[in-house]
Order: sequence, then structure tokens, then C-alpha cells
Amino acid sequence: MLLPTTTYRTAAFVEAARRLGVELTVASERPSTFEGAQPAALLTLDLAAPERAAEQAAAFARRHPVAGVVGVDDDTAVVAAAIAGRLGLTGNPVAAALAARDKHLQRLELVRHGVPVPRFELHTLGEDVTEFAARLRYPCVLKPLRLSASRGVIRADDPAGFRAALQRLGRILEQPDVAGCGDWASRVLVEDFIPGPEVALEGLVVAGQLQMLALFDKPDPLDGPFFEETIYTTPSRLPDRAQAALGACARDAVAALGLREGPVHAELRWNERGPWLIELAARSVGGRCSAALRFEAGETSLEELIIRHALGMPLPSLEREHQASGVMMIPVPGAGVLREVRGLATARAVPLIEDVVITAHPGQTLLPWPEGWRYPGFIFARGETPEAVEAALRTAQRRLGFVIE
Amino acid sequence: MDPASIQITAEPIDGSRCKFVVSQPVHAAGVRRFASAAEAEGSPLAAAIFAIPGAEVGEVIVSGNLVTVVKRGVTPWTAVGKSVGQAIRAALASGAPPLAPKAEAPVATADDDALYERVAQLFDEQVNPMVARHGGRVELIDVQDAVVMLRMMGGCQGCGMADVTLRQGIEAMLQQHVPAVKGIVDITDHTAGTNPYFAAAKK
Repeated sequence: MLLPTTTYRTAAFVEAARRLGVELTVASERPSTFEGAQPAALLTLDLAAPERAAEQAAAFARRHPVAGVVGVDDDTAVVAAAIAGRLGLTGNPVAAALAARDKHLQRLELVRHGVPVPRFELHTLGEDVTEFAARLRYPCVLKPLRLSASRGVIRADDPAGFRAALQRLGRILEQPDVAGCGDWASRVLVEDFIPGPEVALEGLVVAGQLQMLALFDKPDPLDGPFFEETIYTTPSRLPDRAQAALGACARDAVAALGLREGPVHAELRWNERGPWLIELAARSVGGRCSAALRFEAGETSLEELIIRHALGMPLPSLEREHQASGVMMIPVPGAGVLREVRGLATARAVPLIEDVVITAHPGQTLLPWPEGWRYPGFIFARGETPEAVEAALRTAQRRLGFVIE
Repeated sequence: MDPASIQITAEPIDGSRCKFVVSQPVHAAGVRRFASAAEAEGSPLAAAIFAIPGAEVGEVIVSGNLVTVVKRGVTPWTAVGKSVGQAIRAALASGAPPLAPKAEAPVATADDDALYERVAQLFDEQVNPMVARHGGRVELIDVQDAVVMLRMMGGCQGCGMADVTLRQGIEAMLQQHVPAVKGIVDITDHTAGTNPYFAAAKK
């Protein structure tokens, strides 16, 4: 299990492995203080260098045989592919995982295979933007090639807005946690803004075939200028025809990228021209959002499905539970240092609310989008209809009070 | 006592564990753990929690003003939590002791006492020096029926890798060095951690 030390996904995957009775090795980019004492259970890998990590994993596997490998985010999905290739395990080709991670590479492959994507072009920070700012089609969207959670994604409506957005994105890409990460941090993808509702598709690819696990609506319009996500609800309220077309679009994208095995998370839009593939990642949904999904009458988590698949264990039904479900990524209420969260008990008392999880810790600096990328917490609800779930999520959020200095 | 005067806040730890913070002491004399309805017999508070329909409660742990409930069922804490709150209020308002005195069980107690000593030694000599490298500390709360109850502090409290430390580190070391230990229960309030060693971000 490739778990970067900053992932939200640790508890869900470790718990899933326990429930399945799987003997687990956790690999991270920084050593656990227990690694020396538990060399079979803990491992340090160079997660920034997939081939080197695969070498390290192969050396580990000679001492402790490995039966499957799972990555949990965009970077570890590539590392998992490299390890799977080296050890002959279930996984994606490295080229496919790389294409899924890089927004520009991904669009090149999707266009080549006829998958509908926004018109795009690649630029480098520091270019003279006067000429292309004048000829761009507006509104457009500026995106870094790899950052997650829509960090740095900005809409521009005219040349002046474009120049301001590019400067702002440039400053984000100069941040210490980004600037040293490679050439991609000096490039910017500029693409047409696609109007229309956005959905998130969660799927599992088995032998090259995409199995759709859930389609989430995003009821808050994502029209910019920034793209902080808030609510996901499922099942989708879009017409059946739209859902079918969106599913087919995601299947085409999976095939175009050459993904063969494992989870995928796709963002798509729908308008009068049909479905549009906005992003597709070779990993499961981020944050704590996977808790909104249960399978096999509520008995099986998404993480259990992923681990079962990676190990070649029989898969249970991939049908989502009967109830509607939803999650709210709690919007960052403002910039500053979090001191206290009030109203938790009353938020949890809202009918249909299952849980309110605050992941930001007291003393943590909260940063709004587009510079920010960390939600202060998550709210979960289940009910008979997605409308009721959405209403419960909004009510619970209104009851929370964040004290920020 | 007026049940309405008893304030209870539910703080879910995850889908299976939830901590209930009560505005008054529930059990001042250490920690009590009940692993079944049979064990809770004679302790009205714990018995009432085990009897909540549909919750499939597996454990009730009471310490000071905290009641930690572990359930196996998929019924959400929103539904179960209200019933737990009612059970706690009713037990405290009745005026009767909410928990029966701990049954005399010399052999088991001796076993737990012996385990406690061995686990405490392991924590002092190996576990805590390891987590201290990340500014953490692990406090042994009690051992009951061979189940270790612990609390994570400092850099471990709220750390994004706390579950890895707990399962891949501490639990694995207990299995190696004190194999008689049957399990561990983490009663940490991770949301209150102010200085976690690793903080999570959405990816």
C-alpha cells in the first residue's frame, strides 16, 4: 500500500486491509519510526522516482513476497504501475498511469482517440503572453499540469483577466512544495471553459473494462473563477441518456489512455453538445469522500474493492447500496489560523447526517482556493433521495462555525 | 437528577467507534471495558447501550466522563448516537450506580495486571522512544481482558499516519513481544491534536 504521508486516505485503506485480513506493508516516502522494528510491515520508497521505487520494492519483495500493489493518489498510481510491472502484479502500464497524471499528456492521448475534451494549448511561465492572450477564446481556464484538488485552477474571461490569472498561477507554482517538483511546474495548460453541470465518475477497471461504481452530481455550479469543490451526491439526477453518455465517454477515455486495472476517478461535464472529459485520474476519489460509497448492501467499502481487485480476490457485487448518499468538502471559510470549530454537535444532529469530520487541526493555517488545497473537513449524509441528502449537507454546514485568527 | 441537565457530545472517531463526552463523571475509578452484553449485566449504563437495536454494539469503554462505544453494525452514528445518549442520561438520572463494581476475577485480573506490566515495559523501552522521534507519545490507559487501551499524544495525535503507527507499528510489536494481547483500542481524540507530525491534504 503506497501511502504518502500527507494523504487523507490512510485510515480507510488500513482499515479495509484489516477487514479483509490482508497482510499489509505500508510504503511511504518518509520513514516510519517503526520501520527498523517492523521491516515487513513498513517500507520507505522514493515515491518521486517511480523506477527507483520499483527497484526498492523488488529488493523488498525478495525478502518479503508481495502479492499486490495499490497506489492512492496521482503520484503513487504511477509508482504502483512501475512496481506492478517489475513484480508481475496486477496493474496499469506505466505509460498509461503517466498519461493519467499529466493533464497535457492526457489531453493529447484523448484527442488522438477522439474523446471529447476542451480545446487546449500548453504554455510556459515567463512567455510573452500579449499575443496569445489576445487571440484566446474566452472564457478559458488556466491549469497547472499536476496539482490536485483544483489548486491553481483559474477561469479568465478576457485578456486582462488572463494575464492576472497567469501571474497568480505563476506564484502558486513558485511555492516551495511545487517549484522543485519538475519541469511541469513551469508549464500551464490553457483550455476552453466548458459550460454545463459537472459530475464525478468513480470506477474500477478490470482487464481493461471500466465498471462504473457511482456517478456523483456536483450541485454547486463550478463556473469559477476558482474551482473549489463542495458537494457530491449520488445517484445522479441527470437524465438517463446523459448518464449513459457520460459513462461511455469515461469508458472511451480509459481505453484511450491504455488503463488496464484499478480505480479511476473522472470529472466530466454535460451540455447540449454532449459529454466532455475534463480530467481522469488512475486512482480513487480523494480526501475522505470515499466514505460516501458503500457496496454490497452497505457491507463493503470502496477501499476493500480496490484491495480485493489488486490481490485477485473474488469481487463482490459492484452495485452501490440502495440509499442516496453525499459528501460535502467543507469550504474554507477564510484565510487564517484555525482556532476552534463550533457547532459540531448540532451539525451532527441534523437528520440524515451520518458524520461531520474535521480534518484541520487547531493551529492549522487555512488557505482559500486557488492557493489552497486542504479542506477543513467533510460532512456525510445518507437518505432516500439525493435532494434530501443535499439539503441535509447544507443545513449541517450552516451550523458549523469556524473561529479563525 | 434531571436528565435534561446532562450534556452529552458525540465525537465519532470513525464508522465503528464513537466517543461520548458527558458533562459529569460517569466512572471515576479508572477504566471499565465491556466486551459483550453478558459482561455488562448488572451495569445499567453499559447494558442499555448493548441493548440498542440494530447497532450491534461490540464494546463499551467507560473512563472518567468518556464513554467510548464500538459497533459492528452499519447503522450510522447519527441514529445510534441518539440512543446511546438516551441510555447514558437514563442511567445517570436514575441515581443508581451506572456501572457495577468490577467483578472479582483473581485469575483474569492477575493476567491483565501481568499483561499491563509487560505492555507498559514495551511502551517505555521501545514504543515511546520510537514515536518520540516524531514528537509523539503513547499512553497506556489500561489492559482489560487482554485488550490494550491507549491514547496517542503529541505528534501522533491527529497525525495523518496515526493509523499506520497504530496498526503497522504498535500492534505489530505487541503481537511479537506480548502475543497474549488480543487487541488494541485507540481512545485518542485525534481531532483535538494541535501539532500532528504529518498533516493530510486532498489528493
